[in-house]
Amino acid sequence: MTTQTAIFRIDGVTKSYGGVKALDSVTLEAGVNEYLSLLGPSGSGKTTLLRVIAGFEVPDSGRVFFQGRDITNLPAHERGIGFVFQNFALFPHLTVRQNIAFGMANGAVPVSAQETAQRTQAIIDMVGLTGMEDRGVDQISGGQRQRVALARTLVMQPKLVLLDEPLGALDANLRGRMRNELRAIRERMGVTFLHVTGSETEALAMGDSVVVLDRGRIIQRGAPDDVYSTPASPDVAHFLNRFNLFDGTLVDGKFTGAFGTVAAAKVTRAPRDVYAIRYDRLRVMPLSTAAKGPALKATYIANEYLGSSVMNFFEAADGKVVEVEHHLSLGAPETYEPRQDYLLTWAADQAIVFGREGK
Amino acid sequence: MSDATVTAKRQGPSWLILPGIVWMALFMVVPIAMICYVSFWTQTTFNISSTPTLASWKQFFASDTYTGALWTTVRIWLIVLATTFIIGYPTALFVGLFVKSKTLSTVLLVICVIPFWTSFLIRVLAWRPMLGKEGAINIILQKLHIISQPIEVLLFTELSVIIGMSQIYCVFMVGPIAFMLGRIDRNIIEAARDLGAGFGRIFWKIIFPLSLPGVVVGAIFVSVMVLGEFATSGALSGRKVNLLGNIIVTQVGSLKWAMASVTGVILTVVMGMVIAAFLRIVDLKREL
Repeated sequence: MTTQTAIFRIDGVTKSYGGVKALDSVTLEAGVNEYLSLLGPSGSGKTTLLRVIAGFEVPDSGRVFFQGRDITNLPAHERGIGFVFQNFALFPHLTVRQNIAFGMANGAVPVSAQETAQRTQAIIDMVGLTGMEDRGVDQISGGQRQRVALARTLVMQPKLVLLDEPLGALDANLRGRMRNELRAIRERMGVTFLHVTGSETEALAMGDSVVVLDRGRIIQRGAPDDVYSTPASPDVAHFLNRFNLFDGTLVDGKFTGAFGTVAAAKVTRAPRDVYAIRYDRLRVMPLSTAAKGPALKATYIANEYLGSSVMNFFEAADGKVVEVEHHLSLGAPETYEPRQDYLLTWAADQAIVFGREGK
Repeated sequence: MSDATVTAKRQGPSWLILPGIVWMALFMVVPIAMICYVSFWTQTTFNISSTPTLASWKQFFASDTYTGALWTTVRIWLIVLATTFIIGYPTALFVGLFVKSKTLSTVLLVICVIPFWTSFLIRVLAWRPMLGKEGAINIILQKLHIISQPIEVLLFTELSVIIGMSQIYCVFMVGPIAFMLGRIDRNIIEAARDLGAGFGRIFWKIIFPLSLPGVVVGAIFVSVMVLGEFATSGALSGRKVNLLGNIIVTQVGSLKWAMASVTGVILTVVMGMVIAAFLRIVDLKREL
């Protein structure tokens, strides 16, 4: 990874719409042949970021570099950066083949008719659309349309492909399949992918590294497992949707919250004091248990079966909902009585503590 | 369930179509059949009888006045169609595609329609003080010393008819085209840009083909109205330009029913051919 040179870099890019900052001095870099997933809630500026890189939007300030060249003022059609749209944006009046060949037939760089036909057929075979070439794009399924969109972009042999929630329009089953295919196709082609998604599972599953964006700022960047196990801020932890977050106060390395006062082994610096514990780290005990360490009295409400695990919902005294995940590989789930009180405990060293005292 | 039952179920109760059939039969099929029939009647100076004859038809094609009117109609139709398209398409492009705000584009379309708040005849006659020898255009050009003698060709010529019709019917071209352009997904245009296509390519390969149904609908609107015109040509040409519509008016006025019917049949056939030709360009059922 260290030997890779940056394929693109954006430097302090800021973009506002009517006084609202969609991007707030964002600096980001990606190496050759890297799969970067950009995770953020809706309105976090992730689509704006892609549009700035693609050249559909001009940043208010900051520069965009691609292959070592400043392309900030270069029009979109001269950039040679691929873009896959969330709604696929296929040309509705053209066939599958014509859609895929469009860039070669009408692009800035002329491609001979023979080469166009050859490359079109090759990519059609690669994405598995053989036999569909002459269908209209309204005569194929959603998954096939997604493939056409991808093929149309990849056939131009871009060095960088931007994907704007490319799996968002597909159903869950297809999404899983396309996820694997996207990875496989990218590995075969050796292109850098910048994949924007609002789904934390997608981001963690697909990227070589994950960039978390919130309110126009990058709040964390790292390998998926690093981001997952050590979120850099309460916002990241909240957005990963895997943590119970408790407010409280951190004084002299001790965190005081609804569950009592607990020593915090390691504190991550953050603007507010938050105690985070993963859903699957909690244990449910009868109320009579004398727990050492953190313990929280909570009322069982309901559960949700997720296939590989069961999510149990508890309500603490202050009304806060606490989620406890039980992986079914660890054995059959226990059954709890609705409206009964239980004691939730966990090992103190497994918590992630954020606070103003942190380093 | 058999296929036939399925079709019947989907189509619903078939008697719902009855009022439509009655209406169309009474006010379209019967009158057209009647016109066809009357065109073969025998016309004498003061009388008409149902004895079948081809006399009126022969007279139409033998007379320079009548065939001339046919060619004038076709010529003016083609010129007006071309000018409404040339003026209308860029306007529609601006209103439907380049104006980003939906509100502004609606406002602009309403502005296009405002002239229709006045009566048709007033809109036509308003061209007289504009185009006349001492009309607004000539006065302004003379005041600016661009011309020393008034341009006389502006009024009571074929040109004035073309100017008047182009102005009146242009909005029927703009509307459907702007509607189709407004429906184009902006992402499609961005996708084409991203694939390296410049504006010219995007226009000819993406925007124009996608707006074609609008062009066809607009062209059909304009064609049907121009081909049946008689008021504009009457008011702005000083009766020098005779269209098929004008022929029908004069023939009916002098109670020459057979001749009026012949002209009517020919006009209907021309319109039918024009509409059929336009519908061959795009499959409207599929596009709209």
